[in-house]
Amino acid sequence: MLKVKNLHASVDGKKILKGINLEIGAGEVHAIMGPNGSGKSTLSNIIAGRDGYEVTAGSISYKGKDLLAMEPEERAWEGVFLAFQYPVEIAGVNNTYMLKAGVNAKRKHQGEQELDAIDFMQLVKEKAKMVELDQSFLSRGVNEGFSGGEKKRNEIFQMAVLEPSLALLDETDSGLDIDALRIVANGVNKLRREERSIVMVTHYQRLLDYIEPDFVHVLADGKILKSGDKSLALELESRGYDWVKEEEADRIKAA
Amino acid sequence: MSALTLDNIAALPGNAALQTLRQQAADTYTRTGLPGKRDEDWKYTDISRLTAALGESWWTTSEPQTVDINDVAAIEDLDAYRLVFVAGRFQAKQSNIPAGVQLLPLAELLNSDAHEDAHCLFKLDESAPLFNGLLAANSALASDGLCACIREGIKLDKPLYVVHVGNSTAHVLSGLMLGANAEATLIEHFVGTDSSAASLSNIATYVRLQDNASLTHYRLQLESDKQLHVGRVEVKQARDSRYTLHAVELGGSLSRADIIINLSEPGASCDLNGLFVGSGRQHIDHHTRIDHNAPHCRSRENYRSVLDGRSHAVFNGKIVVAEGAIKTDSAQSNANLLLSKNAEIDTKPELEIYNDDVKCAHGVTVGQLDKNQLFYLKSRGLPEDEARQLLTFAFADEVLVGMKIKAVRRFIEKEAFAKLPNLSDLEGMLT
Repeated sequence: MLKVKNLHASVDGKKILKGINLEIGAGEVHAIMGPNGSGKSTLSNIIAGRDGYEVTAGSISYKGKDLLAMEPEERAWEGVFLAFQYPVEIAGVNNTYMLKAGVNAKRKHQGEQELDAIDFMQLVKEKAKMVELDQSFLSRGVNEGFSGGEKKRNEIFQMAVLEPSLALLDETDSGLDIDALRIVANGVNKLRREERSIVMVTHYQRLLDYIEPDFVHVLADGKILKSGDKSLALELESRGYDWVKEEEADRIKAA
Repeated sequence: MSALTLDNIAALPGNAALQTLRQQAADTYTRTGLPGKRDEDWKYTDISRLTAALGESWWTTSEPQTVDINDVAAIEDLDAYRLVFVAGRFQAKQSNIPAGVQLLPLAELLNSDAHEDAHCLFKLDESAPLFNGLLAANSALASDGLCACIREGIKLDKPLYVVHVGNSTAHVLSGLMLGANAEATLIEHFVGTDSSAASLSNIATYVRLQDNASLTHYRLQLESDKQLHVGRVEVKQARDSRYTLHAVELGGSLSRADIIINLSEPGASCDLNGLFVGSGRQHIDHHTRIDHNAPHCRSRENYRSVLDGRSHAVFNGKIVVAEGAIKTDSAQSNANLLLSKNAEIDTKPELEIYNDDVKCAHGVTVGQLDKNQLFYLKSRGLPEDEARQLLTFAFADEVLVGMKIKAVRRFIEKEAFAKLPNLSDLEGMLT
């Protein structure tokens, strides 16, 4: 599904990613954990196609295609979805309209017939129910006046409607209280599919209590230092990140 | 400069006393002339384009033409009292005047010698804010207008929809007075029919609001491409009165409006909302002046412009808080979106505050579309062009959400968005 090879990237001349290697198979759930400033968000932003990052080396292939050569909307059409760490407020733009435009652009790209307003309305109502989003949110401006938890829930709602094959959840759990986290996590779990890969970028092991990952990676100082199964997350929770960095330092010394 | 003389005004309505007032105004114009570039308030707006395009012909009100209102792009589905003016003259047959209120065309009022109530509209105060020669010319040359007095406690059941059909030189002078606790909505719609003709619309509207009266005023400028438009709205507000303006500038080659609000007694409040959409070589200029002359008054001002091509907009928002006007609550915002590198905005908030106990906020932004918003939409699958259009429309629409009459809002959205690079389907796009 996704192959990240030796990815180096910088922002304003500052090196952030220093050789990321990551392979994500269809239907797998990966958690990327790491301390603040390690490059977690940079990685998900580069995959989604945000401006302002310079890829200096390496490659990302997605379903066999060169992802970095695509515009963000083309990536969306190919099934990439980013749940934003900080969802953007767009006053005046109708939430449902935005999604309809997105879904129909994707369908057009795939040579499918566009959905009409009635079919689409039915679809969004179903999906809103699934993620326990009040229907009043459908006709509001995109994230306009939403609370932090509502914004995150709106992201998962959008994921439900857009039905991506690769979903990147960038700190979707940050800033949520337990109840809100449970709702968001339930939404994600309902969206797990055999063919749908999910990458969760997170700070807190807590999220993994609700969404069980197949793989856990530790990202620190622009590199993936360690990969394992979900037991690694528990180890990180009890021991912190420093021991991983020390192991890496020892490994470099030994080499 | 040659003089504006009796020849120009002899045929206009009014008795001898009014002719004298007209002559005085003509003398004032001859003395002051048109505002020039040295005049600070006209620094960015070159009104010499008027004489360049029309010579002295703008002194003469055009000959009456026959226009069928059904051929004019008026607002559809609007339940209102429609009052039609063509070439600055009232068209009784195409209009319906509400019963039970004092409302007459100015010319009719002037020609019925019984009273001289309307004469006060012609008396000039050269010390008034933003006074200029065009206003003097308006007094000298006004051919017609609307005079209405909504008496104490009357709530007009439908809006007054005044359609000014242009493409002819017209000097229009209107006066609207709302008695205590009266409520009304005035929609002034300026529309052209011939995109190749250039002439002048010189429009002055005076409003007086008595205690606790409330007026909502839509001023919709959709003149045809070459028309020049100059306007003045002067509002004097008594205690607790409320005035809301929705000013929309879409048409014309050069359009200038001076909006002058006098919050003269405690508790008065005004809301000024403005939208400019400029394209081609359009020039749009609003100078607003709000005087807080009494305690506990409130003013809100929200102007936005979307400028494409080589269009040029000017916004000057002056707020003066007088010495005794404590507890003044004022906020002004002006946001500008430049779609082309050749478009230009000159924006200037001006605050003059003469006491300590006030709240005055103001903010100006000039720029392009927000990159984060653009990325967000694209990441949801919207193509770049569509995302840009959507954000542009949403930006403009923010000043239209306050329009309570949906038919007007839909009409303006349609007309405004038609000027911009366009999406096919607007349905459901905006909140």
